[in-house]
Amino acid sequence: MTTTLTREPVVITGLGAVSPLGSSFSEIADGLLAGRSGVRAIALGQYAREGTQFAAAVTDIPLAPATALGIDPEHFSSLQRLEQICLSPLAAALISSGLPRTHDMRVGLVLGVGAEHLKTWELDFLAGGTQVRETHRDPTLGHRLARLLGLGGPVVTVAAACASSGYAMALGRTWLDAGWVDACLVGGCDILSPTAIAAFYNLRALSRRSDDPARASRPFDRDRDGFVMGEGGGFFMLERLESARARGGTVLAELAGVGMSSDGTHMVIPSSDPTQAARAIAAALEDAGIAPEQVDYVNAHAAGTPVGDVAEAGGIRLALGTAADGIPVSSTKSMSGHLISGAAAFEAIACLAALDRQAAPPTVNLDDPDEQCRLDHVPHVARPRTIRTAISNSFGFGGSNLCLVLRQAA
Amino acid sequence: MTSRPPHRRCPEPCGIVTHALVETRLSEIPGLRDTPAIPGGPTLPPRFLRHCDEQTVVGMHAVLRGLASTGQPLETFARHAVVAAPCHAGRFMAARSLAGLRQGGPVMVSTHVVPQGSLHSLAGAVSVGLGLHGPHIGVSGGPDALAEGLLAAASLLRTGTAGETTGVWLVATAWDAEPSLDAEGTPLTDPLCRGLAVGIEIGHAAAVTLSLDLDARSDDMASCDTSNPSTLLADVAAGLTACREQAATWTLACPGATGLQFVVRPQQPRVVAREAA
Repeated sequence: MTTTLTREPVVITGLGAVSPLGSSFSEIADGLLAGRSGVRAIALGQYAREGTQFAAAVTDIPLAPATALGIDPEHFSSLQRLEQICLSPLAAALISSGLPRTHDMRVGLVLGVGAEHLKTWELDFLAGGTQVRETHRDPTLGHRLARLLGLGGPVVTVAAACASSGYAMALGRTWLDAGWVDACLVGGCDILSPTAIAAFYNLRALSRRSDDPARASRPFDRDRDGFVMGEGGGFFMLERLESARARGGTVLAELAGVGMSSDGTHMVIPSSDPTQAARAIAAALEDAGIAPEQVDYVNAHAAGTPVGDVAEAGGIRLALGTAADGIPVSSTKSMSGHLISGAAAFEAIACLAALDRQAAPPTVNLDDPDEQCRLDHVPHVARPRTIRTAISNSFGFGGSNLCLVLRQAA
Repeated sequence: MTSRPPHRRCPEPCGIVTHALVETRLSEIPGLRDTPAIPGGPTLPPRFLRHCDEQTVVGMHAVLRGLASTGQPLETFARHAVVAAPCHAGRFMAARSLAGLRQGGPVMVSTHVVPQGSLHSLAGAVSVGLGLHGPHIGVSGGPDALAEGLLAAASLLRTGTAGETTGVWLVATAWDAEPSLDAEGTPLTDPLCRGLAVGIEIGHAAAVTLSLDLDARSDDMASCDTSNPSTLLADVAAGLTACREQAATWTLACPGATGLQFVVRPQQPRVVAREAA
């Protein structure tokens, strides 16, 4: 099928976040552009390994957005951490959009959370519960959150491993295109947990550095040895441009393009053949109607794994061609750690920061760029530049490839 | 709000090109795990299902059967997307890992728990096992998985660049009753697992069409028991088998919408006007 779809632009009108670098857009943008690391030594108690372990933890999940929507603070406190870390930025995105909360408003929710049940069972288990052994068919997290927020549109939870929240953004955009919703909350979050840290460590996916936490996450660097886990993420309110303008809503950026593909090669290791990663990037540019030369900044997925960073660099070069020589590329995971399900949403916020501040955030710790990752890197310090269009890559276990195009509001 | 669409239907009917249901007891899953192919279908890589979750094994076999029934070469589906909608998948693996974590510390946590026990894992296995290059996602993970899966499948057919995704494999799996596990994560019962695979494509070429309606009324509720996701899969499979002759309709719980109704009906023969001789 080769139908040409004519789309009304879909725009971001609200934003909420919880991250190791803060919970407000200005805190996050300031931190990223200053090259500030959110990675710290963490205490895992009885589940710690020998030596120190690093992660980018969220120290405070703001209660205020939830209470502003009438959610009882005691109820918020009684929720599991995964629910809290999603509810707070969802409420913030809803509030910041300024959308009136009327009964007939069809606000959908596409929640990008890759392992809701694993996390729920683990949190319950660590608290002495037995849910994992005696599971009941309760509503999913997405449905519970939608009910708490009083949303009037459809709800879907979507998982594509580390690209989950990006796929949530892609699906929400489609729902607006199709007229299934008037507005849609999209994004995702994740939490640190002993099992997740142990599983990624045992897979040899995590950095084993134990000297300086701020130096551990080293995407594209020759001395990288794996990623540093983080937690948090973000949510956005998406609307059709016409609707947003009609109600006087603030347009933060346009979600101008989406591209997706799968490697189809391995459940864990990204393909060394960059064809499918490049196909996702090229499809996103085509969807946005732009040429590679019109990309002003690339927020790379680059988590700091030896194989993944090389594969992505190849995909970027294949998709952007010679234009890649002049487009700044950085990995904000060098500062935020890898937020897993929430990574794509957080990195979309990093792109909004680049559009807002007119500067490409840096890749900190990029002391010695790997020659197999030859790109126009932004090492250590932000690079001021005119940025009208930014793209963000997200790749996940199972060979999921996703690229989003974010464009400055006209 | 302005420009509110009057009714929310799937923008264009989709065609259902095939479907297949696999029903098996937990105790029989090891046999499926060791069977990487079925007659007339593609062959999975050796030992591909060895570490997969039980629902992944069943869902994968449903897709293999669906593929075999089309008689088409695997390459035909190279750009198909995969939407997998399991219900509480990964629980056995999680229980074993948590028991291991408590008894032996982090070294006892399985390396398979994230890649094989997460919500994306069934979709990933179908994508990797068959070498598909369309997007693949896991959806829901809970009791409303089929409704969410249908919505996600219809969404993926329209997401991104037109023509990129040629179709969707929707795979839904569920136990008829959630098994209880002992402290080591070993199941204490032998429940039935169902896996339904549906091949969906945009366009009008298929014998059966699928349409979705997000504004279904409560009096359209399905006659089957939609509260048990496994029973629902069997009911939908039966309806899909019968619907070459007559339409079938289900209305599923869909929080936020009045109800998600999906209708499958035989394709009406096209009336072609002929010029008079």
